[in-house]
Amino acid sequence: MIVDCHTHWGMAWTARDGENPARWLETLDGRGVDKAALMGHANLVRVDWCQADNDRVARVVEKAPERLLPVYTAWPQAGAQGLGEARRVIEKLGARGLKFHPWLQGFSTADPCFREMCAAAGEAGVPVIFHDGTPCYSLPEQIAGAARRFPATKFVLGHAGLLWSWRSALEAARLPNVWLCLCGPHMRAMEILCRRADPGRIVWGSDFGFGLADTIGYRLSVFKEANVEGALRGRILGENARRLLGIQ
Amino acid sequence: MNSRAEMIDAYCVLGVDREYDLTAGTLVEAMDEAEVDRAIVAPVDRSLAVMNREGNDLMLSAAREHPRRLIPACSVNPWYGAAAESELRRAIGEGARMLVLHPWVQGYLASDELAFPVLEIAGLERVPVYMHTGQPGSSTPWQAADLATRFPGVDFIMGHSGATDFWNDAVEAAGTRENVYLESSLARPFQFAGYLEKVGAAKGIAGSYAPLNDLVFEWTQLRECVPAAMWSQVAGGNLAALLGKRGAL
Repeated sequence: MIVDCHTHWGMAWTARDGENPARWLETLDGRGVDKAALMGHANLVRVDWCQADNDRVARVVEKAPERLLPVYTAWPQAGAQGLGEARRVIEKLGARGLKFHPWLQGFSTADPCFREMCAAAGEAGVPVIFHDGTPCYSLPEQIAGAARRFPATKFVLGHAGLLWSWRSALEAARLPNVWLCLCGPHMRAMEILCRRADPGRIVWGSDFGFGLADTIGYRLSVFKEANVEGALRGRILGENARRLLGIQ
Repeated sequence: MNSRAEMIDAYCVLGVDREYDLTAGTLVEAMDEAEVDRAIVAPVDRSLAVMNREGNDLMLSAAREHPRRLIPACSVNPWYGAAAESELRRAIGEGARMLVLHPWVQGYLASDELAFPVLEIAGLERVPVYMHTGQPGSSTPWQAADLATRFPGVDFIMGHSGATDFWNDAVEAAGTRENVYLESSLARPFQFAGYLEKVGAAKGIAGSYAPLNDLVFEWTQLRECVPAAMWSQVAGGNLAALLGKRGAL
């Protein structure tokens, strides 16, 4: 089984296909990907689009519930309303994760409302997935700082530090509740991360869906070409993701 | 060389240190497999930051052993001041054909006047400057554009096209000056092809950043993604023209 832990229902897909995931899923089929954690896109761009896009992601997932796992977002800057949305997507929409993109959404991981969201996610057993690797609010060490405050919540570095902060991601992942998603680092960085990080807390992702391009082919090939021990590769592509996202 | 487009890899790191483990022999084997004719070889990070001469000498030596395949780049850390200028002149005098600057590794802001003296030398010696970009704060596409404006006689190769999070700056910044080029490594072939559509084939330069990436795989992916009509320029033609300003390779 291959689980892609970082995908989006992008605005380009909405513009072209509405809420029909058939062509989106064809890309997964073509690459042998079985399941995907599906995040929004519009909901990360504008606070006033957040709820509507969360609902759109839910409707898209309903069309292929056996393959898609919904991951929603909420806006800490929206205060009580944002916290209410976080609780709604967890309790009513069956979130399998909460996604945050601090530099797009414009908040610090020190934001009090964000902290409440992290606590709520932890109480519900829902992992919190981040864009990471980018200052000034999305560095791995900043996210690890939040992870220290909420040891019962799983924090996923959605890009494992990207290209230039992967060593910080590796250090951050020493915390037992910090996970790495291999989606962005170059091949050699992937190899080192797999060799040094906890093998039970690494997953893989493609960022597919932000645009129409097939990013799965490249990113999956990079991971498969990387010098990673076979059994570990299997865990990363499947078993770890199953545990993280609660796939039965 | 046959009649097909000459393929030149714009950036490979030669040496063994931390995440680098590429020898000249291994590199040439990979080039053979990928049908890459030549490759620029640059020193490992440690020799970009410190021990510049050691790294430069390794590149010069490798290129002497493989004169038809490897093209030596050199680097100096601008913080060394007059010593950096001296080492740059020496390395170019001994055959280096490109100056590599990595502000993030070398510890300065890309557009800081600290680097101006070595950029002036690059211009006088007619060697292009490969500047790593994408590292927040220290080296961004717009800093490359600013330098290209200040030094219109220097060709700036924007390494990695600002990947990752400066992708939305790279195209516009490259478009502001004729002497700014976009390099593909780390920018992902599927995304780089989109940049080329906007900036034109004349500004694209292919590179693998081996061994951090697999050279053969990257070139295979580039072939699939770069439009055929652009291939000869992007795969080597543009870079050959820049390198040729100093004379025949």
